[in-house]
Amino acid sequence: MSQITTKDRSDSPIESGATKSRSRTAVDRFLTTGALVVLFTIFSITANNFFTLRSVLSLILQTSTVTLMGIGVTFIIITGGIDLSIGSVIALTGTIAVMAADANIPIWLSMVLGLATGVVCGAVNGLLVTRLKLPPFIATLGMMMVVRGLVLTITNANSRPAPEAFGTLGNGSVFSYGQKFPGIAFPVIIMIAAAFIFHFILRWMRIGRYTYAVGSNEEAARLSGINVNRVKIITYVIGGFLSALSGIILASRMVTSQPNGGIGYELNAIAAAVIGGTSLMGGSGTVAGTVIGSFIMGVLTVGLTMQGANYFMQQIVIGVVVIGAVAFDQLRSGR
Amino acid sequence: MNRGRAGATATEIILKVENVSKSFPGVKALDQVSFDLRRGEVHALVGENGAGKSTLMKILSGVYQADEGVIHYKGSPVKFRDATHARDAGIGIIYQELNLIPHLSVAANIFIGREPLTRFHTLDEKKMNADAVAILARLNLNLDPTVILRDLPVSKQQMVEIAKSISLDSEMLIMDEPTSALTESEIDELFTVIHSLRNRGVAIIYISHRLEELKHIVDRISIFRDGRSVSTDDYASITMDEIVNRMVGRTLENKFPPKRNAPTGEKLLEVKNIVRAGVLHDISFDLYRGEVLGVSGLMGAGRSELARAIFGADPIDSGDLTIEGRRVSVKTPADAIGAGIAYLSENRKEEGLAVKMQLSENVTMANVPEISKRFGILSRKQEMDAAAHYVHDLGIRTPTLAQVVNNLSGGNQQKVVVAKWLFCNSKVLILDEPTRGIDVGAKYEIYELINALANEGAGIIMISSELPEILGMTDRVLVLHEGRLAGTLSTGETTQEEILNYAAGLMNRSEGNPSGERT
Repeated sequence: MSQITTKDRSDSPIESGATKSRSRTAVDRFLTTGALVVLFTIFSITANNFFTLRSVLSLILQTSTVTLMGIGVTFIIITGGIDLSIGSVIALTGTIAVMAADANIPIWLSMVLGLATGVVCGAVNGLLVTRLKLPPFIATLGMMMVVRGLVLTITNANSRPAPEAFGTLGNGSVFSYGQKFPGIAFPVIIMIAAAFIFHFILRWMRIGRYTYAVGSNEEAARLSGINVNRVKIITYVIGGFLSALSGIILASRMVTSQPNGGIGYELNAIAAAVIGGTSLMGGSGTVAGTVIGSFIMGVLTVGLTMQGANYFMQQIVIGVVVIGAVAFDQLRSGR
Repeated sequence: MNRGRAGATATEIILKVENVSKSFPGVKALDQVSFDLRRGEVHALVGENGAGKSTLMKILSGVYQADEGVIHYKGSPVKFRDATHARDAGIGIIYQELNLIPHLSVAANIFIGREPLTRFHTLDEKKMNADAVAILARLNLNLDPTVILRDLPVSKQQMVEIAKSISLDSEMLIMDEPTSALTESEIDELFTVIHSLRNRGVAIIYISHRLEELKHIVDRISIFRDGRSVSTDDYASITMDEIVNRMVGRTLENKFPPKRNAPTGEKLLEVKNIVRAGVLHDISFDLYRGEVLGVSGLMGAGRSELARAIFGADPIDSGDLTIEGRRVSVKTPADAIGAGIAYLSENRKEEGLAVKMQLSENVTMANVPEISKRFGILSRKQEMDAAAHYVHDLGIRTPTLAQVVNNLSGGNQQKVVVAKWLFCNSKVLILDEPTRGIDVGAKYEIYELINALANEGAGIIMISSELPEILGMTDRVLVLHEGRLAGTLSTGETTQEEILNYAAGLMNRSEGNPSGERT
């Protein structure tokens, strides 16, 4: 097709513009990262013991599960969906893994069973949204109730202890040197690995591109030959998988099943994504943004606790941050 | 239509714009623009996309504020803070996209924000409906005010929007492309309303890309180019050629480029007996390599529906497609794309582009596997190479390949959609109203592109509601009437009148005589 010529062709060479286009997102990233650094600095100065190796490592450990959930829900929100079933899926998958381990199934296999359960939950969400054409809010609200009911039924609402070895994943660490250095906890390593892997998938793989395309303009994506339903199902499966991973880590840290655990976690995950710049309108959001978003929430929680603010106060502050982050975004993107 | 007007002495100037400028980051949208509007005139404002028409309208309606310059309205200088301020001053604006609430009744829409109340502060529906009838009557409209808006055709909805402006006692009305979604008869209806408004002394700014319709209603015409006002003339004293030349700033000898393609005898696409119950009735035709095949018909004749059926965008009940002699099964757009069929929708922004995504991402959207051959990992380099290739070949004007498509002009956006389909190596391109909403200069480029593609061996199906475009661009024309193929005409031997006769169902050559095709 090289002979096509048209009038008034612009002769100036066109650069790829990669730097220019990213400058906007770079500014965004800088602002959220900046907010995180500022918060961190404030707490380091005002709260004793905040800026110590031990408490920073513990902060990262505490934030790891919400980060995993947030990454999953980011994929879903980019397509224009939502997942309200995260908390229930956490409870169910953790419980399934503990029950399997309790039944003398090898620990690793029990955990794989838990992950598989999460994948199935995600697939059901995806099928409800695509095949039955339910609004994602309704589909996952229903699943939140169904899954919660399911886990309460099979456990009779009782927590069950897991074999001791089940706790290794949640409580173990590497590079530990006794008192000097407590080591990097396994959940932190999992979180870092997941962040890199899913960042790569979203930014550099076909499915990631399709995720943005579906969220930006579903009809245009369909008419471009993209299998929109498949893309949506995959994002819900990713969400279910990462919820299950969080559920298993949480169960492992407690070394018990928690059929009543995880209530409301989906809202923290959504808040992390939103603080990190993911738009509920679909089409925009990044894994890195969500990671920063969840750490902003983590720093606030830990910092405020150390300053003696109780849980209720923390809720107020985090709520204000969520509103402020989105309001700020709106103001900046407006004229 | 009679161009005589009641108050022939309508020369009082209601609006005077003097040396207004407005800049956005990187662009000077308006540069020392001057313009005036008289009571009781219809004043056309024309110019290519990006000429500054919309920016001026947004300043006049309070959406933007001018950087410099003065606007006199009814004799005194004004600066509209926001849209409400302008509206309260008596300036109404009717946008291309209607600002109405589909779920509310006609009356509720007309009186939204200032509903009449009863003594008990409940809505006074009775008064509202009665007032609505009165206002609609002033426009000679016989509409039930209790009808829910979304149940009305677009043309009637537009009338409701006009009624809303009238009810606000607008003395000045801005209409931005009001006919773009209307059929011929609806346009006549609109023009009647515009005439009566003018005769009552309302000043109207009329923005349109459809230059040929101006002759029915316009008194004066102002031409904008590149953010400057080029000229203002009495419409009677200017020719269409002069208008077009001033708009593009150069002489366009012909509206259509000379044909470079010639249909070969080789059948590229055979469409057989396509049926979609109630929409398409047993349509068959052939498309030859190198051919530009026009599809004509009135609104609702099934033109876009035919395109969507071939492309797999809508399900069909029966029918066969053969491409290059091979039967293909097309159930989804993905199947069609795989078979080498492309479809440029008439709704570019809704169905063709992801406007928030980058130019390069839009170019590759329908063929992402091509740039992610290894394990589904995207190659940024291949993507940029592809985008750069088409930006160069199609003459897409953009600062960078990463430009967000929303920031491109309509013509350049259309080229991005074309690039998207070229990147799929499409052999059959179905173009649905490819020049809608595109300025004259960019139209010419699209025409050249169509010719070039056909010349290189593609088959083009071009749907158009502009008959001059059909006659100027195609080799043959399919004319549809109520979902049926009314006739297949050879462009060189037909006329606008003949096509219209087939489109209106007055003539029919296909029935019982499928060999009526001439090639």
